[in-house]
Amino acid sequence: MNRDTSLAQAAPRGGPRAAGSRAAGLRWPALAVVAAIAALPLGFDSPFYIHLAVLVCLNVFIVSGLALVTRSGQLSLCHAAFVGIGAYVSVLAEMRLGWPFLAACALGTASAALVAFLLGSAILRLRGVYFVLITFAFGELFRLSLLESAPLTGGANGIANVPAVNLLGMALDTRKSFYCLAALLALAALGFLVALFRTPRGHALDAVGEHPELAEASGLSVRRSQLFAFTLGSAMAGLGGVLLSHYVGYISPESFSAQVSIAAIIMLVVGGRLAVAGPLIGALIMTPLPELFRGAVQSQNIFYGVTLILILRFLPQGIASLRILRRLAEGDNR
Amino acid sequence: MDISFLIGQALTNGLIVGLLYLLMAIGFTLVFGVMRIANFAHGEFYMLGAFIAFVGVVQLGLPYIVAVLAAFVLTLLLGWLLEAAILKPFRGDELNGLIATLGLGMIIQNLALMAFGPDPQSMPPTAEGVVAVGDIVMPLSRLYVVVFSAVVLLLLYGFLMHTRGGRALRAVVQDMEIAAAQGIRSHVVYPMGFALGVALAAIAGALMAPVFSVSPFIGAAPLFKAFIVVVLGGLGSIGGAVLASLLLGIAESLGSTFFDGSTADMLIFALVILVLVVRPTGLMGRAER
Repeated sequence: MNRDTSLAQAAPRGGPRAAGSRAAGLRWPALAVVAAIAALPLGFDSPFYIHLAVLVCLNVFIVSGLALVTRSGQLSLCHAAFVGIGAYVSVLAEMRLGWPFLAACALGTASAALVAFLLGSAILRLRGVYFVLITFAFGELFRLSLLESAPLTGGANGIANVPAVNLLGMALDTRKSFYCLAALLALAALGFLVALFRTPRGHALDAVGEHPELAEASGLSVRRSQLFAFTLGSAMAGLGGVLLSHYVGYISPESFSAQVSIAAIIMLVVGGRLAVAGPLIGALIMTPLPELFRGAVQSQNIFYGVTLILILRFLPQGIASLRILRRLAEGDNR
Repeated sequence: MDISFLIGQALTNGLIVGLLYLLMAIGFTLVFGVMRIANFAHGEFYMLGAFIAFVGVVQLGLPYIVAVLAAFVLTLLLGWLLEAAILKPFRGDELNGLIATLGLGMIIQNLALMAFGPDPQSMPPTAEGVVAVGDIVMPLSRLYVVVFSAVVLLLLYGFLMHTRGGRALRAVVQDMEIAAAQGIRSHVVYPMGFALGVALAAIAGALMAPVFSVSPFIGAAPLFKAFIVVVLGGLGSIGGAVLASLLLGIAESLGSTFFDGSTADMLIFALVILVLVVRPTGLMGRAER
């Protein structure tokens, strides 16, 4: 993978790593502030705003999984397929086999992890571009096979009337109750990534993503690190898919197409690839946008494309790399 | 039905489809070779080529061959412009360049949606009737596709092998720095490589427009096939692209004769993964970098 150019652009601000790690170091006090803000939507009366808040939380969770993969130096273009695997496996286990929600949820997440592990074992030896092309092809193939196996998956019609999340006999069938779960999970994902990137394992991921040859030469296994990130990140996508399907109540192959994977990449790039806060910022900005363009999908997509190119050109590490945001994330401790 | 007849027919169809994939894949691999960018907007240029042919023939009443030429020239200019205006900062930057082409593809596709609407439109066939060789039957319009693609590929071969511009392109594909040291001007070669690559995709689109229908969404399938071809053949290798696209065309055609469509697709995907596990650089790719 070639990150050299983007790092070179960050270099004047004090060494190649400084910009990345500083942006990445979302401190605990900042996390507490985020938690406080996360409690705000509970005071909203409008169901629509709560709905948006739920979608933001789910997107934070799913895009955090993608961020994990990206930080290890690979770009996955089938992230939506793993969201879809989690969604379809859990919904089918619940509706066809009558499994309880928690078991179906575990099965959905585990299936996404397993598929990612197998696919990753085969293709992570390849150079970055091959990985991107193969994941794109895999995502398309996944969507096609959903369409073709209509007796099981309902084909293009999808599956409707998915039951709400049911935790140990407590159904989270209102927007606010589901929001509590989604917000907790989004916070847990952010906290987990902050913690992970302080461990040797996390440092290894960063090292591999930044300079694979150097990492390999210092005794880190590039392939193992990337396989770990790809499996874990895709499992997060799977869990996100389980929740999304049970919240929306309806799944169809089009909800997991390449466009959705690309939308996740846009959120990540706009928010910031190397910062734990990146998915949060990206999801906060990009999730409500379709409401501004209501009914004008085409101008919305053109806007997405233009934004993507402008951000890549002028702010390659995303909004999280803006100096003012980095200061905020670090708190006043310097 | 006779099995040898079935196989013969499948081989013929496979050859036609394979040539189409080849046009797509050579353009893709050329762009990658020059700019180190996997161009995810490549399929949209196929779509633009198809629409230029459609507008030229149906709305302006041009002869078909003129419309195909127009598709080539217009996308060549557009590609040159887009490279210089948008992709220039991303030259050689694999990851950001790739993401930028995702954005570019979205913009082109949605502009086409605004201009032409989402419904598929059809174009009159270029020729009526069929050609029969023995038992094997081929519609004349598809024979046109074969002849046109073969001519384009021969011209491309001549250009790459025997002209100054072609030699400069190949030199850049092999090693940018050494090429620059020999006085090859990068500000011409980069846009030329990109423009030529996407114009080849546009020719493929223009050739297929009379065979299939035309809509803003038609770019996705050929892009997908181009990926499979370049992965199978080795990214950046033109010889590998030739071999892999003919193999893929024939395998698909045989596959869909004996299995249903998506099973064939899945078998091919499994085959590609298998090839990559055995030969990570593709059939004819160089081990590099």
